[in-house]
Amino acid sequence: MSESLLIALIAVPTLTAVVLWALPVVTADRVAALVGTVVSGVLLVASLVLWWDMRRPHCPCTVEAVYGPLPRTLPGKLTPDVDINVPWIPSLGVRFHLAVDTISLPLITLTALLVLLCCVYSLKITPRIGRTRSLIALLLVIETGVIGAFAAADLVLFFVFFEIVLIPMWLVIDIWGDDHDRAGRRRAATTFILMTVFGSALMLLGFLLVHRHAGTFDLVFLGQHPIKGGHGVPLAAAILIAVGLAVKMPLWPLHIWLPDAHAKAPTVGSVLLAGVLLKLGSYGMIRILLPVLPDATATIAPYLAGFSVVAIVAGSLACLAQTDVKRLIAYSSVGHMGFIGLGIATMSPEGLNGALYANLAHGIITGLLFFLAGAIKDRHDTSDLRAIGRALYARLPRISGLLTYACLASLGLPGLAGFWGEMLVLLGAYHPADWLPRATFIVLMVIAGLGAVLTAAYFLRLIRELCQGDPAENPPAAFAVDLSRIEFVTFVPLVVLTVFLGLWPFTLLNQWTFL
Amino acid sequence: MTLTWTDWQAIAVPLVLAIGAVAVLLVDSFWRSASAELRHTVVTLLTSAVILFGLVFVWAQRGGFKPAFCRPAVEGPAECSFVFEPLTAGLWAVLLVGGLGVVGLSTYRLLASDVPIGEYHFLLLSALTGATVLAGARDLATLVIALEVVSLPSFAMVGLRRDRRGSEGAMKAFLVSVLSTAVMLFGVSYLYGVTGSLYLATIANRLNGLDPDLGRVAFAAGLFVIVGFAFKIAAVPFHAWLPDTYVGAPIEVTTFLAVVSKSAGVAGLLVLVTAGIAPDGSHLRTVIAILAALTMTVGNLAALRQVEAVRLLAWSSIGQVGFLLAPLAVGDAQAVVGYLAAYVVVTLGAFGAVAVVQRHRPGGLLTDYRGMVRSEPGLAAALIFFLVVLAGLPPGLAGLFTKFAAFQAVIDAHLGWLAIVMALNVMIGLAVYLRWVAELFRLPADDPFSVDIETPAVAMLSLFAALTAVVSVLPSVLFALAT
Repeated sequence: MSESLLIALIAVPTLTAVVLWALPVVTADRVAALVGTVVSGVLLVASLVLWWDMRRPHCPCTVEAVYGPLPRTLPGKLTPDVDINVPWIPSLGVRFHLAVDTISLPLITLTALLVLLCCVYSLKITPRIGRTRSLIALLLVIETGVIGAFAAADLVLFFVFFEIVLIPMWLVIDIWGDDHDRAGRRRAATTFILMTVFGSALMLLGFLLVHRHAGTFDLVFLGQHPIKGGHGVPLAAAILIAVGLAVKMPLWPLHIWLPDAHAKAPTVGSVLLAGVLLKLGSYGMIRILLPVLPDATATIAPYLAGFSVVAIVAGSLACLAQTDVKRLIAYSSVGHMGFIGLGIATMSPEGLNGALYANLAHGIITGLLFFLAGAIKDRHDTSDLRAIGRALYARLPRISGLLTYACLASLGLPGLAGFWGEMLVLLGAYHPADWLPRATFIVLMVIAGLGAVLTAAYFLRLIRELCQGDPAENPPAAFAVDLSRIEFVTFVPLVVLTVFLGLWPFTLLNQWTFL
Repeated sequence: MTLTWTDWQAIAVPLVLAIGAVAVLLVDSFWRSASAELRHTVVTLLTSAVILFGLVFVWAQRGGFKPAFCRPAVEGPAECSFVFEPLTAGLWAVLLVGGLGVVGLSTYRLLASDVPIGEYHFLLLSALTGATVLAGARDLATLVIALEVVSLPSFAMVGLRRDRRGSEGAMKAFLVSVLSTAVMLFGVSYLYGVTGSLYLATIANRLNGLDPDLGRVAFAAGLFVIVGFAFKIAAVPFHAWLPDTYVGAPIEVTTFLAVVSKSAGVAGLLVLVTAGIAPDGSHLRTVIAILAALTMTVGNLAALRQVEAVRLLAWSSIGQVGFLLAPLAVGDAQAVVGYLAAYVVVTLGAFGAVAVVQRHRPGGLLTDYRGMVRSEPGLAAALIFFLVVLAGLPPGLAGLFTKFAAFQAVIDAHLGWLAIVMALNVMIGLAVYLRWVAELFRLPADDPFSVDIETPAVAMLSLFAALTAVVSVLPSVLFALAT
């Protein structure tokens, strides 16, 4: 049953999109959001069922679940739970191999959740240009690509699903993006797709080098028989793969596509872009780079960590200088993905678990932030901080309250989701893997810690600039609706999950064989 | 020399094509009483039947190996001028499907009425004859003659409409073709002088044991032959004739040039490289790799700036040839044939769609396509699919996997620099096609394109789209062609 559920998770969204496109325009525009909501709701349930099915005790119970402490192994190696494996293109050595485990399933669920929320949000609030049918259909195609990439157990299949996302996302930005800046949104969309395609082409070269060396693209096999050697061909492969994924993630200095793409995209586009697309990069590093090329990754890990720390600091500094609320949140993503990169580069269980946790937390919190930024932008018709004015607490008390909450979660307030990931990453940097230079990582840890302080600084600045202030100087505008019902419904799951992940981190961390 | 039964079998397809060509010409000339429509239909059916015979033959004999026109050699195995083997079968399948597609796109009312149809189909079948011979040729004389049999009808076809632009295009193609033949013959004569044989297999054998001084001569000679082919397939820097010729010709002829002529050139070069003058480790392969890098980069960069659909396709076809040359440079026939097959089907589709628009909007600008997803959703969806395959992104998996195979061939041959250039070109190529796709999606359009599309065009485009979809889901079909 699990196998068919997994296939359904990947196939149903695209089939729904095809059906939507086959319907007449007028009908489809009216029902698209509803259809999308129902379908993605069912998919969310399906992914939860899959998760529950994997977590429930299967008897005869596994030994490690009963006896003694778990081994301190690095998470990342694929231990397939649901496994679909059929030959596809024998002459190229490509198989249609899908598998999920405890690392990929939470991300699949996150994807299903965010797509569902985007569809719910689109029930009432859509970009001004309309064309809801295509928007929802493209969101569903993106869902197929992302879930497929998280479930792929073959390098080429991962690459294919990774690429499926690109054209739909390009269209979402290009068509439904910022309607005040036509040239800008086109440029943003094109920069996004071209940089990502170049990155993924480089990644493909890395995969082919792996294939030349190991003779297979299969992740399960490669995880069990990693490629030894930290120089020569494995090193070249690791660099190519790391650069390709770093474009997606994005790591400084390959992040230049991100601020524009996030700022120009429509609300739902930004949410999916930040919430799930960026995760493809970090997921790829954890799933492919570390298990398949451990020695070569060890060689590049200090550099990866260095770039990540630069990303943390540079992202935070850039945030301090932003005057556009969407751009600010976009740059904050650069900083947070820097933490994730640092966690991966430590190659320690703590760091990797932190990276995995921060992945999920960032998806939820940044999703919420972009929803809120969209709400503010819709009400003011601009996302420029100076044009919006101050004293939002007086004008939009609920929205600005939620914004403050999301900012606090994002800056890593203990008790909310953002805290654990960053804490574990810093812990990992304090105890990096034995084969890494510890002194370097401790220095990097200190700088990253300072970066975390900067994060607090710019979020607090955002709150002060936007929410606080004298209501008398900033008279309320014509709109009176604070938090509409549909926004409430959309935001609540994210708010609740942020608290949940903040208070019970071990529900997830225990799955990743930690401590 | 006596012809054996095997010889007849091996050349059955070119022979039938040639007979068909003559028959078509006679039918058209001596049956003036029939209406234009009837004549056109009969000629089309005749041509299709002849090509279908070829396809059936290829299918029936796909695993076969038939050396023809052989003679016992002084040393080693017999020398053969013509071989039908799995590689030949794959190339023929591609060429014949291309020819059939062009015929399908030039049915009555699709082909401009001022194009004489008897001559058109005669020239098309003649060129196909040459192309099929080229793919099976295993000696230099046959290769050169077959290449001429492909080229001469091609520029006659460019000039069929006898207007100024057509004549200019034909003239350019003719001059370049003559020049390239001269260059090639020069190389061939030197190769013969150095190795004492015209048979590719023997040349390959003797090149190995050549003393270094003669080796340099052989290298120069091989270079000349390759340059000759580079002119025909419009590899940079021998590409300048192509855009004007493509624009000047009737669009069906352009389709033919882009599909059949180009595939024939690539097939000939593939035979030449893998079976003869550039064995593994030869410097000539490096030359082809450099040509590949130059061709794809220049083609794609120039395509970025085009505002006319046909010119864009012309320049991007130069870019595609660059991608074809990359696996060719490392001698990976399977990747080349797979790429060629996907390219042929998709190019037929793209040109077919352009022909539909161009019949009603002769300007042929990219802006003519604005808003077509709403006004003409079927045509727009098909065109987007074809363009995405050309770019090599999902959902165009056929394009993605053939590019993938090219990458794999290059990486396995340790040509890292070429792989990086190819990666860059994937990006540039994507930018080229996205400009067009963006136009199709843009709404609202002032004057969206919307017409009653002719039934045969609808049928052919659906067929090409279906074929592309099938090979996208099962790309192994593409790579099974040449094995």
